Amino acid sequence: MLGMRHTYLWFAQLVTGALIAMFLGIHMVIMHLEDILGFFGVEIHEPTSWGSMIERAGKGSWLAFYILFLAFVLYHGLNGLRGILLELTPSAKVERIINWAIIALGIIAFALGTYVPVALFQG
Amino acid sequence: MSTEKGKKLKFKVQRFNPEEDQSPYLQEFIVPVTRGMTVLDALFYIKENLDSSLSFRSSCRMAICGSCGMLINNYPYLACHTQIEELKADTLEIRSLPNFALIKDLVPNILPMGLKHRSIKPFIIRPDTQEMENPTAEFIQKPRELNSFLQFSYCVKCGICVSSCPTSASDKLFLGPQALTQCYRYCADTRDSGAKDRFPVVDTDHGVWHCHLAGACSQACPKGLDPALGIQLLKRLLVAKALGISKKQPPAPIVPPPTVSKPKIAVPEFTVTPAQKET
Repeated sequence: MLGMRHTYLWFAQLVTGALIAMFLGIHMVIMHLEDILGFFGVEIHEPTSWGSMIERAGKGSWLAFYILFLAFVLYHGLNGLRGILLELTPSAKVERIINWAIIALGIIAFALGTYVPVALFQG
Repeated sequence: MSTEKGKKLKFKVQRFNPEEDQSPYLQEFIVPVTRGMTVLDALFYIKENLDSSLSFRSSCRMAICGSCGMLINNYPYLACHTQIEELKADTLEIRSLPNFALIKDLVPNILPMGLKHRSIKPFIIRPDTQEMENPTAEFIQKPRELNSFLQFSYCVKCGICVSSCPTSASDKLFLGPQALTQCYRYCADTRDSGAKDRFPVVDTDHGVWHCHLAGACSQACPKGLDPALGIQLLKRLLVAKALGISKKQPPAPIVPPPTVSKPKIAVPEFTVTPAQKET
């Protein structure tokens, strides 16, 4: 299992890329393309207003959606950044530093990113 | 450019003597060129008539040995496989292959490529070592199975793919298209079962997953191989293995000895006997 670590990392990069496209599509349609939804009979009134946002924040499904979306974006972006940095700094010592820095950055960003939707969900 | 008799061409050839020079420089030579003359012929003309200290590698002069890879007008070619006429240029600038350290003049140090090639174990690996050491018969391989990797076995290890690879330019630890393609060549061979020994070598931060699929290796390969395809197929093998959906089959067995053999076709009788010939 560990012997194929980089294959799993790369496969996860592919999967999160596809999931980001899907989640971002949902986000864009809901938040910015309500006219298109209206064409299909789904009415969302002012999705970017404060009231609509608070209403969505109270739903567990939207909480899960945004936490997953954040996780996918962070993994995809930071793993891509890691790949670029490792290519430019071919040294075992620097690699270890980059790996841990990326993991730390990811955890901090995830904690900060999930704080707001979780706090809003809890009211 | 035409190569009519008496035509002369300017060659700007990279020179570098590590004992005297700080950095490489270009030296100009005027070389009489003829139709069909290759860049390697011109380099030999320079060495034999103008400057005997010029250093470059060559051996077979027929694109088999892969020795004479060099950068000709900013594009990597085999010098013996490149006719001056086809370049359609009035001046030829010849440098050593990029992405390799320079030893002297046009001689790159291709040792790192050789070591990377060796690291992927470029030979058939099987559990039946007795049969490998003392072969008694051939291993079965269908034409379709052979075609799955045949083109990759034409690699002459010239280093042109590595010299054209943008990832090799930025990441000196990157295994490179040559080694990765050869890894696929042996893993795809049905006679081989050494994937478990090779996958840990290529499944690293500087292995197969760092290929950006620029495709420059496939465009530059003088033997017409498609290393970018080989690398993609290697990725497929790795993902299939990681997901547990790879084909699990033992290496090809040996061919059973033939039970029936056709008799050899008889040698035709002489239509003219020696006696008739004398008369």
